[in-house]
Amino acid sequence: MNTRSNIIWGIIAFAFIVFLLSPIVLLVIFSFTSRSLTNFPIEGLSLRWWQEMVATRQFWPALANSLIIGVCVAVVSAVVGTLAAMGLAAMPKRRASIIMGLLTLPVMLPPLVLGVALLSFYVSIDLKLGLTTVILSHVLFAQPFVILIVHARMISFDPRVVESARDLGATPLQAFFTVTLPIIQPVVIGAALVAAALSIDDFIITFFTIGTGNTLPTLVWGMIRTGLTPAVNAIGTLILLLTIGSTIIALQLTRYRG
Amino acid sequence: MTALLKLRGISKRYGDAVAVQPLDLDIFAHDFVAILGPSGCGKTTLLRMIGGFVAPTSGTVEIDGRDVTRIGPEQRPTNTVFQGYGLFPHMTVRQNVGYGLRLQKKPKAEIADRVAEALRQSRLTEFADRSVTALSGGQQQRVALARALILRPKVLLLDEPLAALDLKLRHAMQDELRRLHQEFGGTFVFVTHDQGEALSLANRIAVMNAGRIEQEGDAETIYTAPATRFVATFIGEANLLPGERKAGQVKLEAGPSFADAGADEPVTTVVRPKAVRLLRAEEKADIEISGSLTEVVYLGDHIKCVVAVSDKQDVVVHLDVAVAPRPVVGEHVRLGWSIQQQRVVSA
Ligand SMILES: Nc1ncnc2c1ncn2[C@@H]1O[C@H](COP(=O)(O)OP(=O)(O)OP(=O)(O)O)[C@@H](O)[C@H]1O
Ligand SMILES: [Mg+2]
Repeated sequence: MNTRSNIIWGIIAFAFIVFLLSPIVLLVIFSFTSRSLTNFPIEGLSLRWWQEMVATRQFWPALANSLIIGVCVAVVSAVVGTLAAMGLAAMPKRRASIIMGLLTLPVMLPPLVLGVALLSFYVSIDLKLGLTTVILSHVLFAQPFVILIVHARMISFDPRVVESARDLGATPLQAFFTVTLPIIQPVVIGAALVAAALSIDDFIITFFTIGTGNTLPTLVWGMIRTGLTPAVNAIGTLILLLTIGSTIIALQLTRYRG
Repeated sequence: MTALLKLRGISKRYGDAVAVQPLDLDIFAHDFVAILGPSGCGKTTLLRMIGGFVAPTSGTVEIDGRDVTRIGPEQRPTNTVFQGYGLFPHMTVRQNVGYGLRLQKKPKAEIADRVAEALRQSRLTEFADRSVTALSGGQQQRVALARALILRPKVLLLDEPLAALDLKLRHAMQDELRRLHQEFGGTFVFVTHDQGEALSLANRIAVMNAGRIEQEGDAETIYTAPATRFVATFIGEANLLPGERKAGQVKLEAGPSFADAGADEPVTTVVRPKAVRLLRAEEKADIEISGSLTEVVYLGDHIKCVVAVSDKQDVVVHLDVAVAPRPVVGEHVRLGWSIQQQRVVSA
């Protein structure tokens, strides 16, 4: 009885996983098909669509934009988020959790609402749409994750370590750079990579705030509108690689406990 | 001789709670001072105000003639061994010990020499290149000490330096601290709630209670001449006999009276168990009191007797193990002690 229900549950769970993963697996497989239709049977494997992707005129600017935005978002939200997390960790618990709630508000909003709101905001203050506005918008929703991750590290941070540094002659700044930062560095880098991953695969907010350019996700969207070719799968696979790659590294780093 | 460290009217309040009441304290060069008191009495807060980690609500801290009240810990001629040590987990033992010298931008060779010397003195040479997270509690303690002492502070501050160690290690580290104090020749101020530790290490003791220093003096004076009832009970065992002083005469509730100058008020007479004697038949003493023996316990180095001298008053007596004949429970005994061996304090 018991084993039978175990088997049934096992099958259900397996089916679920297949359902969740198969689109991703198909995406990757179809990016290597030799035909021009994304359906089975796949007659042969080829890099034809990857070559097509590389040859697409808008591909390189979109990749460059995605990377520039991703790196800037990672750096800005890591710096600002770390400072915020340190400030929060030094506050009384109640006040910290209220402020944390406020800061994480952008994450709770539906991205569509956030995107429209940001667009009308930029237009109303006459800020030209472009990479800057995308970066600002991404920092807005990526930052709370950085704050949460770094804050979790900071509350277990031994304040006596910093006090020791001060006691041994370090100014507050020296203590930060020689003691605090080296100790929390893996977590900060991990948080920055999470921010980069969030930024690279965002479509909705980018779509509303970029104006005329493209990032990889908006490029994919544009290509789908004119017709579905396996080149889209190649770009999709590339985005997948970028975000999964940085997430895996981030997980490795944030799990580290000096 | 003027004091190396002068606290004047120093106090700290957190909101409505007063952690340290305004107090004065002088600490002289080469002293080994214990700040002794029960948990929560404000010892750590006081030490942290000296080190520059807590800004006092009022008062000043002066070290070696300089007012340091408003400057940060990095500019004070003090170094601290924190409770829990606060070692740098991302550095080796050697890097921890050399941290202060590196900040001072000393030449590389000098740093290497001085660190090696400090490691040798603290018997840490064999662990020099280990991460501090891979050390035992006692070794971490030695790293914390070496790291602070290498900067040759005018005052070394220690917050419950031995509290985290087991009993055996604690005794070893007490010897180590005493040795370091002698070799180093500096001024040590340490916080403890352990009266035995205070007596065995410090030459001067400041006893704190509820944010106040109740008495400050050399260890012997604190023990033999406690200024308050709290000091008497906190350090060593003491018999407390309540009474009333009127016109220079103290009358104890338990019977005897004696002359003692002072204001008319309720008082407590303090007498150590060791100062009380069992009187033989014709023997006289300044203060005599009698009662029946309710307890006799052999404790190895002494015999502890409890004598009920009234319904609500017991007197504890420590007798030499060689006493003969050994008193027995139920026996009616006369106790006595001399006036010099008791202290009369406000109740
Ligand atoms: N940052 C703070 N905020 C509010 N109250 C504090 C703070 N630090 C200390 N206190 C209070 O001040 C009082 C004295 O604290 P302190 O740490 O100096 O005691 P202590 O004598 O060192 O005690 P222990 O032996 O337990 O370490 C305590 O009642 C404590 O609750
Ligand atoms: Mg304390």
